[in-house]
Amino acid sequence: MHGLDLLSWILWMPIIGVLGVLLLPNEKTTAIKTWALINTIITFALTLVLWSKFNQDIPGMQQALSVRIPWIPQFHIYYALGVDGISLPMILLTGLLFMLCILSSWTQIKKSIKAYFALLLLLQSTVLGVFMSLDFFLFYVYWEVMLLPMFFLIGVWGGENREYAAVKFFLYTFFGSILMLVGIVALYYVTGQSENSFNILALSGGKFTTQTLSLFGQTVSFSKLFFVFMFIGFAIKVPVFPFHTWLPHAHVQAPTAISVILAGVLLKMGTYGFLRIAFPIFPDSAKYFAHAIAWLGLINVIYGALCAMAQTDVKKLIAYSSVSHMGFVMLGLAAMTVQGMNGAVLQMFNHGTSTAMMFFMIGIIYERSHHRWIVKPDGSRGYGGLYTQLPVYSIIFIIGMFASMGLPGLSGFISEALIFIGIYEKYTTITVLALFGLLIGAAYLLWMFKRMFFGDVNPEIKNYPDMTKLEVAYMVPLCVAVILFGIWPSPILNMMKASVGQLVSLLATF
Amino acid sequence: MYLNYLANVGRYIPELLLVVLMIGIIILETTYAEDEKNKKYVFILTCVGLVATFASLVANMSGKAEAIFSNSMIIDPFSTVMKMVMVLGTLGAVYLSTISKDIYESLKTEFIIMAIGVLIGGMILASANNMLMLYLGIETLSIISYVMASLKKNDERSSEAGLKYALFGGVSSGIMLFGMSHMFGVLGTIQFSGMAANIAKLDHTQMLIMMPSFVLFFAGIGYKIAAVPFHMWSPDVYEGSPTPVTTFFAIVPKLAGISALIRVTMIFFLTPSALRVGWVGLMMIMAALTMTVGNVTAIGQKSVKRMLAYSSISHAGIMIAGLVMINDIGVRAVVFYGITYLFMTLVAFYVTSIVQDKYGNDHFERFQGLIYRYPFMGIVMSVVMFSLTGLPPLAGFVAKFNILNALINSKYYSLAIILALNSVISAFYYLKIVRLMTLKTQESNEEIEGFGFLNQVIIIVMTAPVLILGIFWDSIMGLAEGAKIFIK
Repeated sequence: MHGLDLLSWILWMPIIGVLGVLLLPNEKTTAIKTWALINTIITFALTLVLWSKFNQDIPGMQQALSVRIPWIPQFHIYYALGVDGISLPMILLTGLLFMLCILSSWTQIKKSIKAYFALLLLLQSTVLGVFMSLDFFLFYVYWEVMLLPMFFLIGVWGGENREYAAVKFFLYTFFGSILMLVGIVALYYVTGQSENSFNILALSGGKFTTQTLSLFGQTVSFSKLFFVFMFIGFAIKVPVFPFHTWLPHAHVQAPTAISVILAGVLLKMGTYGFLRIAFPIFPDSAKYFAHAIAWLGLINVIYGALCAMAQTDVKKLIAYSSVSHMGFVMLGLAAMTVQGMNGAVLQMFNHGTSTAMMFFMIGIIYERSHHRWIVKPDGSRGYGGLYTQLPVYSIIFIIGMFASMGLPGLSGFISEALIFIGIYEKYTTITVLALFGLLIGAAYLLWMFKRMFFGDVNPEIKNYPDMTKLEVAYMVPLCVAVILFGIWPSPILNMMKASVGQLVSLLATF
Repeated sequence: MYLNYLANVGRYIPELLLVVLMIGIIILETTYAEDEKNKKYVFILTCVGLVATFASLVANMSGKAEAIFSNSMIIDPFSTVMKMVMVLGTLGAVYLSTISKDIYESLKTEFIIMAIGVLIGGMILASANNMLMLYLGIETLSIISYVMASLKKNDERSSEAGLKYALFGGVSSGIMLFGMSHMFGVLGTIQFSGMAANIAKLDHTQMLIMMPSFVLFFAGIGYKIAAVPFHMWSPDVYEGSPTPVTTFFAIVPKLAGISALIRVTMIFFLTPSALRVGWVGLMMIMAALTMTVGNVTAIGQKSVKRMLAYSSISHAGIMIAGLVMINDIGVRAVVFYGITYLFMTLVAFYVTSIVQDKYGNDHFERFQGLIYRYPFMGIVMSVVMFSLTGLPPLAGFVAKFNILNALINSKYYSLAIILALNSVISAFYYLKIVRLMTLKTQESNEEIEGFGFLNQVIIIVMTAPVLILGIFWDSIMGLAEGAKIFIK
């Protein structure tokens, strides 16, 4: 299907949305919102079409759907898109979450509405670009362009300390990716500037095990050096300890919808980077550093959970819980076994839905209370007794919370269980220690729940209205996803099985 | 021999045109009464002259590369492309001078005359094929620059800038001449190619003399492009000079110096020798230092102009980094960098100048909330700042990518990593402007006059290449690739 390929449509649909938003006059806010909503619905529908066309028996890229058009022939740079079992769940998640975010921003965003929706749609396009690119240069462009809308979305529509958060976010990510750029260019020359020098697929397979290079007078292994560079680039995004310090700031300051996107999709770009780029291109180094990655993952799990326990700001608590949960993904990746990897990809998807739920719920209560304190700085309760006052809200909150805790029957359980099964044989100590992370996770979530929802009714919350129809409307799809994939995860697992299996067998040969 | 002398004058039309233009403006200025109409004529004449020069440069592109005037100058695609960039830079600065309040009305014509003079010097420098022409170029460029820096006669800082510039310039020219005289003493010729040929035959003692003389020689050019540690003059001069002059300084003398440096490097050190090792080492250290010092110092600045001065130092460092590999890929990258640098610098200075004219100073706070009053200007300035940072899909990224490319191609990984990390440092202060413009509420509701329709259009036109070259850089890359250096 020349010129009409599905992936390009999905990728550029949000850009059409941006143009539409820009053409609409400033005052017509409803028209802008409606247009953005319709646009994201179309994008989501297209991702579903993509799913229907997806052949889950093919381990590599779906040839029928791939695109490869020269962009800068002089440098062998291509506009190359493709989809496989690892990227499809992420594309679906992106399509879904952005649609819901438009709905959630409907009433929550009050200033510069036009710019906000334009930037949000631009962000969607760049995120999709990251998940679809098969050309390293194109990947890098999308990876970086994503910084622009994020910078402004946090910086303009964020909370009080938004500037600091936006700049920190920008600089951290930029630092990580610029090192990656050096790696990209180095790969280009090591492979002889050929047709496939920016082709992520052609670079994969561990072709750089023996090369060395000289850095500041020292001879170092090419593969190890650039694996570390790319690791830092992706680890900052995940975020892996000790590169996580930007995350709590960014999350707390960002508006609700952006927190959702950040936790739900952007963090996954980091782990996706490992799966698509760092591991397949440098499998030997991935193997070499696997143990270290596992330990870092463990630190993430425990440290994130302990930090979460100490928070009195509920949004910060969930932000740290993301750090903890992304640690599980890192553990699954470090395991490099079929179960572990499948678990990791599934956890990426499930964490996307459950954390998105939590952030949405926090945004909804923030709309009513205009603060997020579990315990206010002066020591009084921020909430308390929400359960009796806001029953619908409480039920949905419980679903989200238990999903993120990993209660059996909800989505988080299956992915975490798979990860533990996958990693147990390789790193028994780490597994045992990580299980404590689950325990702490249950503890801080339940403790938070107790302080917010049970107990005497705080007079302040008496006149909070329960969730509006709109709010329920955008929470329902996530509730369904969390419950459905908790009971019946096979659609997602089948989708990625073949692709993950291919990666695991590649890693097994080193 | 003497007959041959004028034979190639056809290739020298651009420079001659400029000389005629310069004289023409002097006559026009002195014969007509001082009034608005006269100014308009001068400006139109300048524009026509510069465009004609540009056109003749384009015509020159198609001719074959050759040495003219008894091999004292080279007309090759490389010098022609660099000259085109310089002409465009001058055109930009000249237009800025007509709208800027930073230059006294009565001196605007003088600015144009001197700018053309500097441009002629820069073009000589870009074409120089022997030490004499190189020195003549540098001096033509410098002596007029000293005057330009102190164009704001009643302003202390401007006078200080001029004096500083002159003192530093005089000393560094002396040092350079000293180095050149040793080179002549040892190598016996001032022709670049002849010198390069003789380098291969040097014995050990002679080599020992040559090494320091090359360092001394570099001091002169390094001073012109404000390479660390010869950069001390640059921030003060940039801040003290009127903004159009600063704009001009940031582009023409800098690129002229870079082109001379490229030519010297490519001719002298194309073949391996002990000197080459030393020179590459020197360049690497200079590049790393220039980038880092420029960027780190820029962070703490309060004045946008001064910040841009430091940022231009760091960009010069990046361009020097494109020299260490001494091959065509490096030259190509530097040429491309020069082209993008031109547009980014022009836009940045235009916006700064207009904001400064409004408020009387150019402190960072003056940019607060600019985007809410002038969405287009805010966006354009943000685009340029992100481009200077090196963010895709903007031209600045492609330019940096090409330098990285060239570095890694020749396995200079250490320098590549230093360059990459420098981008992060630079992001810090470029973001500061973006942050102030977009994230802060505006300082006042006052209108800024300079952002009239015409100026907005001009600024947007200058920004367009920044966007276009970020995505479709094939054609300009082809141009830069064609800008080969001719050695004779």
